[in-house]
Amino acid sequence: MARTRELVAELRARLGGAAPLPPPTPLPRVPEPPVRVFPKRHEGSRYARETAAHTTALLGIGQVGTRYATDVALQFQAELAVAHGAVATELPEDWAAQNGLLGLRSRITHHREFLLRPDLGRRLDDLSLARLKMEAKTGVDVQPILADGLSAIACMQSGLELLAAFTRACEARGLTVGTPVCARYARVWLEDEIGQTVKARVAAILLGERPGLGTGDGLSAYLVYEPAVGKTDGDRNMMSNIHARGTPPAVAGDRLAVLARAMVDQKRSGVSLELGHLVAELGDAASRHPRAPQVRERLVEVPT
Amino acid sequence: MILEPLPPRILSVRRIPHADPALLLAYGADPARHRSLGLVTCDQDDPTYVALDEATKNANVDVVFAKSFYAGAGHGSGPLSGEIMGVLAAADPDEIDAGLKALLRCLESDACFYAADEAKKTAVFPHVISSLGHYLSTAAGLKPGDSMAYLVAPPMEATVGFDMALKAADVRAAKIFPPPTETNFSAAWLTGSLEACEAAAVAFCEAVVRVAANPKGDVWGS
Repeated sequence: MARTRELVAELRARLGGAAPLPPPTPLPRVPEPPVRVFPKRHEGSRYARETAAHTTALLGIGQVGTRYATDVALQFQAELAVAHGAVATELPEDWAAQNGLLGLRSRITHHREFLLRPDLGRRLDDLSLARLKMEAKTGVDVQPILADGLSAIACMQSGLELLAAFTRACEARGLTVGTPVCARYARVWLEDEIGQTVKARVAAILLGERPGLGTGDGLSAYLVYEPAVGKTDGDRNMMSNIHARGTPPAVAGDRLAVLARAMVDQKRSGVSLELGHLVAELGDAASRHPRAPQVRERLVEVPT
Repeated sequence: MILEPLPPRILSVRRIPHADPALLLAYGADPARHRSLGLVTCDQDDPTYVALDEATKNANVDVVFAKSFYAGAGHGSGPLSGEIMGVLAAADPDEIDAGLKALLRCLESDACFYAADEAKKTAVFPHVISSLGHYLSTAAGLKPGDSMAYLVAPPMEATVGFDMALKAADVRAAKIFPPPTETNFSAAWLTGSLEACEAAAVAFCEAVVRVAANPKGDVWGS
């Protein structure tokens, strides 16, 4: 009922009118929205169901009417939030020093610029370049670089473990390892300038990878032979999904050392590197078999 | 029995989906933005102003024309003339439909005059708008979303009532229309918080009822 009518009715009662006001014209009835219940339809294709078991990508998720099922939509939002959170995290400035690493940074000055200017993230700033020249060992076989990349969370969670495993595995294969450095606001190609400066034969950058749905803690590693500014992605070998649900850091450290050893032996890297004889040592990274089944981590529980 | 609603009668409602540009210009619309018109006449002007404003809150329409007719509904030029004609303008007929729907709903169930005396000779309009649309807010020099008490009564009752209303609550006068107006009523637009507007409207309404019941009371004793 309209507010003015209530006010007038109250006043009328106060001035001595006992009989209630005639009711106002009733509002036209708003029709009820049509109620249709769409049963959840499970994925009908056996091929899609089996494919879905081998990936955490959104395959074989069925449908409800023309939309996603509630649990699928909620899980999607939760996983997207995990990815957004990982991109938004920054590596603390003193994290490198606290963990005994030589701290470097790219030419980026703040986080937003880091997201917008990949070109600046590929070069060292002047102070870091001077520091690297002063303090790092030169002429080594492998220069390991830990970096934040697009997920500082991944770098802080499992970066040190991967770095240690990689260093041990390289030394076990007779490679000399350079001073471990840690770069902030780093893009992959930053390894070119660092490796070139310390005259390393192989530069290896271990950095947080671009977060995917539900995966904010993945590391990637990119290795390049004879690093120099101007090398392209065709000159690099890489390994992704280094996290507990993908390749665990301890296993990845070994495989990356195998790659580094192959680069030093063959004096090349990238597409021309021969890995055919190393399938046993590289495991999944070089095999042609389908991946082992993957289990999706439930972030949202929906009662059925 | 006093303070019974005097329901407004909607005398005509029409829609012109694609109006001639000359007509648009004549009624204050902008042919560059407006193409369709919605027209309404009613036997109560002030509830219609409120309803036109309500339309601007419910649809993407502009009130391009709204004028009261001289001497009020009792002296209309024809059976459909009533006391006011209002014109909504919009870019397409669907907006007009949505605007007219809101306007009619407001006239049917919200804004109306009330009888201030037993004989139903005195009409009072103590209306509170909790949130102004862009039509009345522009006319009153206020912001859309402000609260406003829209108070109307015949000249004598209204003048005493305005004074009571302004003193009863923390409101200020956005605009006062002293007599004579087209319909020979007096009106005032008071603004303040919603509670203040409500208190002012009730005080106004009570003053109108008391003056109507006792026209010479203050000077000559009752």
